[in-house]
Amino acid sequence: MDSYLVVKSILMLVALSAAFSVFFIRVRRLFRLMRSVQGKLPFTLDRVKERLMVLLTDVVGQSNVRRKALPGVAHTLILFGFLAVQPHSLELMLKGVCPAFDPAKWIPAVYGGYLFVADILAALVLVGFAYAIYRRVVERPKYLTLGTDANLIILFTCGIIVTFQFINAFQALLPVHGAAFDYRGAFPVSGLWIGLLGLGRLGAGQIAAGYEIAYWLHMAIILGFLVYIPGSKHLHLLAAAPNVFLKPLQREKAMPKTDIENESAVTFGLGKVSELNWKNVLNLYACTECGRCEEQCPAAQTGKPLSPKNVIHDFKLDLLAQADAILAQKSDAVEPIVREASPITADVIWSCTTCRACEDICPVNIEQLDFILETRKHQVLMQASFPPEMQATFTNLENQANPWGFSADTRADWSKGMNVPLMCDHPEAEILYFVGCAGAFDDRGKKIAQSMARVLQRAGVDFAILGPEEACNGDMARRAGNEYLAQMLIKQNVEVLNQYKPKKILTGCPHCFNIIKNEYPQFGAAYPVVHHSELLHSLFRQGRLKSVQWMKGVGGNGPAVEAMAFHDSCYLGRWNGIYDAPRDLLRAAGSGIRLTELRRHGEKGFCCGAGGGRMFMEEAIGKRINIERAEEVIASGAAMVAAACPFCATMLSDGLRDCQSAVSVKDIAEIVDEATA
Amino acid sequence: MATIGIWIETEGGKVKETNFGVITAARGGSGENTLLALLLDGSAEAAKEALAPYGVHKIVPLRAEGADLDQSPDARARTLAAAVEKLSLNALLGLATTPGRDLFARLAAYLKLPLASDCVAVDVARQTVCKSHFSGKTVATIQMKAPVMLCALRPNAVEAQQSPTSPEIAPLTVTVQDPARVRVLEVKKAPGGKIDLAEANIIITGGRPIGSAENYKILEACAQALGAAVGASRAAVDAGFAPHSMQVGQTGKTVSPKLYIGCGLSGSVQHFAGMKTSKVIVAINIDKDAPIFEKCDYGIIGDLFEVVPMLTEALK
Repeated sequence: MDSYLVVKSILMLVALSAAFSVFFIRVRRLFRLMRSVQGKLPFTLDRVKERLMVLLTDVVGQSNVRRKALPGVAHTLILFGFLAVQPHSLELMLKGVCPAFDPAKWIPAVYGGYLFVADILAALVLVGFAYAIYRRVVERPKYLTLGTDANLIILFTCGIIVTFQFINAFQALLPVHGAAFDYRGAFPVSGLWIGLLGLGRLGAGQIAAGYEIAYWLHMAIILGFLVYIPGSKHLHLLAAAPNVFLKPLQREKAMPKTDIENESAVTFGLGKVSELNWKNVLNLYACTECGRCEEQCPAAQTGKPLSPKNVIHDFKLDLLAQADAILAQKSDAVEPIVREASPITADVIWSCTTCRACEDICPVNIEQLDFILETRKHQVLMQASFPPEMQATFTNLENQANPWGFSADTRADWSKGMNVPLMCDHPEAEILYFVGCAGAFDDRGKKIAQSMARVLQRAGVDFAILGPEEACNGDMARRAGNEYLAQMLIKQNVEVLNQYKPKKILTGCPHCFNIIKNEYPQFGAAYPVVHHSELLHSLFRQGRLKSVQWMKGVGGNGPAVEAMAFHDSCYLGRWNGIYDAPRDLLRAAGSGIRLTELRRHGEKGFCCGAGGGRMFMEEAIGKRINIERAEEVIASGAAMVAAACPFCATMLSDGLRDCQSAVSVKDIAEIVDEATA
Repeated sequence: MATIGIWIETEGGKVKETNFGVITAARGGSGENTLLALLLDGSAEAAKEALAPYGVHKIVPLRAEGADLDQSPDARARTLAAAVEKLSLNALLGLATTPGRDLFARLAAYLKLPLASDCVAVDVARQTVCKSHFSGKTVATIQMKAPVMLCALRPNAVEAQQSPTSPEIAPLTVTVQDPARVRVLEVKKAPGGKIDLAEANIIITGGRPIGSAENYKILEACAQALGAAVGASRAAVDAGFAPHSMQVGQTGKTVSPKLYIGCGLSGSVQHFAGMKTSKVIVAINIDKDAPIFEKCDYGIIGDLFEVVPMLTEALK
């Protein structure tokens, strides 16, 4: 027996050093790769307390994972059970090398308590996996990657747990030496195996052998898993927590500003994986292909070739495939992202509506849009490659500062005869109403802008517009990759804004709202910005607007409508977290009307299909996103759908018309206008 | 007193109407220039008949020895280049259409001459051209310095004016070497309008209410009577009633015909953006509240399935 212990000790020492060395080398390579990429992003560790709280809620509390109930619970069980057996495995490793290592002897109470809890938690892992297997075999959701990688991991982990239980079962049967720890009764679950398999009938030698077999299997699987992790999607185990810890702490975000005037820059945007930044790489490592992003993605759900999950996965594969060149700092040898036979095709990157549903749902806070939008930027600025129909829009934006090419000096024409002052005549106005291109030029949008102006006048708000001094906000050009054009438009507006220094900017379009609020500060214009849903709601609260029996049908001003739904605009909701204001506003305005919700609403609201410049591109692949949304509106039974974005309004109207539906579409400003008239 | 060559573009053997404006532009104010119509294809007699009312002095059918003009763009350019020298032209004008842009670019390279393409006006006496920039917001006048002025004009940029002459036919045969780098094997027409939308003087467009691809026949019949091209709205294209090549609007073709007839169009901004520079807009829509009625010069409230056939009948 003693000679066996010596052999075991040597074997364990060799196995442990080998496995941990390989693990260390592989992880070090990944870490170096993360530090070798050239994208510039300074590492700053701010708001550490908040971040620690995030670890507590998101990682320990599993709050994001459990947004999907059953898989979330299963994941929680697996995670905690898996973590619970780790100290035990570590103990066995050390004990294998040095038999004198025996915490059971040193801290018997703690040790016994730990074993008891770990034994239960470990068993729950099997419950979690039972559901995981059921999901993969029976449910088979489309968004889930069903591959060998995942199956191997399930097998590995189940193997670890089952061998853990057998080690425990045999341990309980092993003779107790002297006053050593009594293992009987320490294993509420593993102990069941003894009775179930009649292990008690085995002889002492057989029990000792059984223990050793279980032990070696356990070690083999654990060390195998250790070596396997860094090369698999279960790199997630290592990268998810740091990625969550370093996540952006606020919902609002700005697209990175590219220094297009930097004459020494050799490239713009994201052309090769070597140009990713460290955070992007950490994002890639953290992904475990759960597919929740794909399930939410309007492009993926309507048959487009884009799946945010696959984008992340494909970027990761590309990064790992080209790791040698990147580590050697030979960026010339790195192949471009969009290339012959690359899974990331033009159709993939141009299908994105930038609705941010993927980022919002990701349990580990991956920012998929950073990859897609920066790749677009490179395609437009460096390759001049973009959907051909965008050419006219880009040219119009460049020449007339609006996407349709209407003469820029007619921008205030929508307000003719309405007594709406221009900022140049009334620079002291309390509110600068930034109308936006749709409000200024599109007939549908003009009606919304006119309603808005009427309501403001009714409430006695002191406001003015920029008129011909206003230019397109630059959002569409920026998200369509044309950073150059976007900056031209932004700078034009910033110059005008800085000249007036407005006290508050009001927008009727979430795209104007988002970029002026979150991205104009990059260009030296930081002013308070408010979306019309918020402003109108506050006017109601202040009593400056009063609803006059709207929606009462007979006798009221509005139509006889029973239920109304609100369609969340992505740039109001997911980009800025404004979900309540428009709903509260509708309740305040439409007294007596039932506000119903569309199937996908709030954080899971489904895009209208117009974002990210898609409004000005053809949608030739798959089902049209606005039709999908229109069908959802029809299914909700609402007779009217309220929008808070002129582009949503257009897309919904078009979709509903194509579905030959009588559901009407109104902007919240129009509803308020009718309700307070 | 200058001798000016005009390359006459044909389509299906017929002289294109857009050539007449080029002749008017070449004639200039004083009208003392000698105008030679250079033909690379088509019948000289037919060309004479078509061009006489617009005032050319000679019809010069060009023949090339040692090259096939129908198949080789290089041979066409070299033939024209040889003609420029043999006829001692002071200027050569033509249309900046797709074939025109191709031909003039090759010609300029062979003759080592500067080229002004896509011009909206030309003054041969002063050797100046005008070009439109920034979507028509500015017009640049460009002074050219060249022994022979090469200028391709944007179709319909100069309005044709009649000035009848009785031209003689004076064929010219030149010897050219064809480098035979490119060979045109086949010319395929895109399905859709018989007349190219971008060049059409009149366009009749059907929106989604047209209901089916079959129903476009109603518009086609009317288009034939009018000499118009047929367009479609994005909604109609999306619904599969018409190919994308017929789409007018923001993400389709941008057109600026003299007359635009919109049938069953709602008048969305995306569509309007593609045809807002039309000189006269006529709208036919059953819905009197359709936004298109706010933008058109003439509006007909009625069912396109009734109105359009009546219009076709009246035109016949």
